[in-house]
Amino acid sequence: MRKSIPALLTLIILAVVISACSGNNNGNTAGNNSEASPSNTAAADQAKDGGNLILGVQADPVILNPIYAGDRVSLTIDQALYAPLFQVNNGKKTFYLADSLEPSADNLTYTLKLKSGLTWHDGQPLTADDVVFTFDSILDEKQNSFFRENLIIGGKPIQAVKVDDTTVEFKLPQVNPAFEATLVQLTPIPKHIFEGEANIEKSTKNNTPVGSGAFKFKEYKTGEYVTLERFDNYFAGKPHLDSITYRVAKDANAANLALQNGEINVKYLDPQDVSTIESTGNFDIQAYSEGRLAYLLFNEDSDTGALKKKEVRQAISYALNREELIQTVYGSSDYADPAKSFVTPDGLFHHNDVTSYDNDVDKAKELLASAGESNLKLRFIVSSGNKAQEAAALYIQQKLKAVGITVELQSMDASAYGQKFTDLKSKDYELSYAGYIMGYDPDAYRILYTTGANSNYARYSNPEVDKLFDQGAGEADATKRGEAYQQLQKIIADDAVIYPVGYTKTIVAIDKRYGGLEEAVLKPVVIFEDPSKLYMK
Amino acid sequence: MRQLIARRLLQTIPLLLFVSIACFALIKLAPGDPVLSFVTPNMHPEDIERIRHNLGLDKPAYIQYLLWLKELFQGNLGYSLINHQPVMDQILDRLPATAGLMGCAIALAVLIAIPLGLTAGANRNRWQDKIINLISYIGISVPLFYLAILLIYLFAIELHWLPIMGMRTIGVESPWDVIKHGILPCSVLAFGFLSVYVRYIRSSTIGQLNEDYVQIQYAFGATRRQVLFRHVMKHVLLPVITLLGMSMADLVTGAIVTETVFSWPGIGSLGMTAVKGMDYPVIMGITLFSALFLILGNLLADILYGFADPRIKSTR
Repeated sequence: MRKSIPALLTLIILAVVISACSGNNNGNTAGNNSEASPSNTAAADQAKDGGNLILGVQADPVILNPIYAGDRVSLTIDQALYAPLFQVNNGKKTFYLADSLEPSADNLTYTLKLKSGLTWHDGQPLTADDVVFTFDSILDEKQNSFFRENLIIGGKPIQAVKVDDTTVEFKLPQVNPAFEATLVQLTPIPKHIFEGEANIEKSTKNNTPVGSGAFKFKEYKTGEYVTLERFDNYFAGKPHLDSITYRVAKDANAANLALQNGEINVKYLDPQDVSTIESTGNFDIQAYSEGRLAYLLFNEDSDTGALKKKEVRQAISYALNREELIQTVYGSSDYADPAKSFVTPDGLFHHNDVTSYDNDVDKAKELLASAGESNLKLRFIVSSGNKAQEAAALYIQQKLKAVGITVELQSMDASAYGQKFTDLKSKDYELSYAGYIMGYDPDAYRILYTTGANSNYARYSNPEVDKLFDQGAGEADATKRGEAYQQLQKIIADDAVIYPVGYTKTIVAIDKRYGGLEEAVLKPVVIFEDPSKLYMK
Repeated sequence: MRQLIARRLLQTIPLLLFVSIACFALIKLAPGDPVLSFVTPNMHPEDIERIRHNLGLDKPAYIQYLLWLKELFQGNLGYSLINHQPVMDQILDRLPATAGLMGCAIALAVLIAIPLGLTAGANRNRWQDKIINLISYIGISVPLFYLAILLIYLFAIELHWLPIMGMRTIGVESPWDVIKHGILPCSVLAFGFLSVYVRYIRSSTIGQLNEDYVQIQYAFGATRRQVLFRHVMKHVLLPVITLLGMSMADLVTGAIVTETVFSWPGIGSLGMTAVKGMDYPVIMGITLFSALFLILGNLLADILYGFADPRIKSTR
């Protein structure tokens, strides 16, 4: 008894502390509101110059060089530091460094015109030489860029040739409509800085990057922050903000507190945190499509072969309710649009009017009976701690029970899960809840659905599908190309290769003191396409 | 004495070798693949294979280890697989932040733990002892990240006295600013350490109070306070030396959880990132560093023991 007294006291003290904190929190919220409102009303609508923005990021950038950047943080910082040639939104091009991009009549040559008078942050001119240098560096095997294969078509490299200071011609070995999508991701790096570097990836010059974007490099404190400052000679006009800082905030809870406290102004949010942040009244909460599909994966090649028959996959699809699933996993239909096609809405030729498998338990049972399956047992792998996966798995387990399918959940740690999921030889599971972002050209999906492809996690094989992907890749005529991809979306839905759940959205909280979000264009992964347009109200 | 030190230093080499093999084996046995941390779905398989090859990850594990060892004997801890920066530079870059934070936390913990432990031990089972015990129980049983969030709520959100995260205000280079950022993480860590230290010092005090010399001091008319702080304290400090020796490793490994919560740019958060990415050169580098400091810390404690307590020296 004596021993339990300190323990009891501990509990009481903790309880008091916790309740005090949560109680005070509400009071504080109100305080913040009243503080913020005068500045809000005083804010004029037109853009003002000056001010700093602090963006919370989860980790240090891996490398501030666009030909190597693959992680979210590096890509986000590079977007402000290095201007792209052009960007594509809803099929429309916005030109940045480039002025125009024209294919030749035979679609084998693309002519890229750069804007004139472009400069790097150090004042050196940015010319066709830089574009060709960047292109060649990526193609150089010794330089280790993982973007290399994108510049190779049918085993032959694309050639970049300088015509004059502002003109580059790209010569393709064969017709490739996806080439424009490749160029979107090609961001020039400065030749005068990197020329002659034996290994650009390991170069210390990446620690003080010289870019061409709206903001130039100022300071990087490892583990703390990266600060960029305004580049006055930015070709699209002087940016409004004085600086942007990317602050490393590793712990999500602490980062949310920092957001509320004003130590961070822009940050990604998880759905479950939205109401807390929204209730402060100090933030614009923006949910926008991130071009991602969340889906239930069917492993056709498991050792039991349970999902080999398409009737079984269709039955599972009918047993589920897409809206309920979205509600369960994302908390609200605001954060994911119902998905039917494997191509995301931002993709070319996206076509969501395909077999949708609306919840129908009787039909599911019928299909199972016709396939001669009863008492099916399926294994569902889950990455433990992944809230979306855990919620989806529990929901699906319960729904499939109703049609007589037993689902066994196998929870494992994230890296074990990643390894099992990406290993095409692993046969000891049938179901998993996953997602992908493939970009806007549908040719990218080839690696997911063609026979034997490296990311064909469903182990799906259909000669017709393989043929249609080849057709789509080599067809320059947009109408015919579109037909091929529409056909593909129909077949893959009919075969129930996956069960598409939702096109998920990224949720970002932006301090209300900042404006210009529309002009800056909210974008998946990098948050702002053109941060030069942001301003402080 | 000199012989002892030389012998102990020589023993370090096989020990470190063993640590490195164990660490490497554990990393390789764990599921996961460093290449996966930078693979995006639309990367071509040829590119993935080329990167794997360039990083030497397609070689058998023992060859990878031997290559790593060869580099080590040339004084090179290798390059990170993820950001390709030299591991040594990354560790040295983060060392001041971690050593500063942990140094302050340990010093603070010792300074508070000694009087608390003595008081608790001298007043065994009385109300002072119970309160101090309670504090120490809380420190041992409450997870530090939870305590960290509570303190952030109180001092940063409610009172606005202290910043929530980081080591500096952006763009500000002043020692006072760093101290301000360090107060919360330092207090959290110090609380964790002191809760453990207090337990040691308390039991050591109880033991000492039963010794003959204490009775003799009383017999000579010394007051309780004099006995406690003049005589008992000297003996009680001995186990503290051991504790400090063991804490030497903490100086270089940092505190993974606390550093992460406060986004403190130290070695702990570097290690956390490396573990997530299976970045074995960085994990190995940090492990070796911490093993080395643990061994040196213990050696130092043993040497100090000799000075602090001549009885030990004479029995060697």
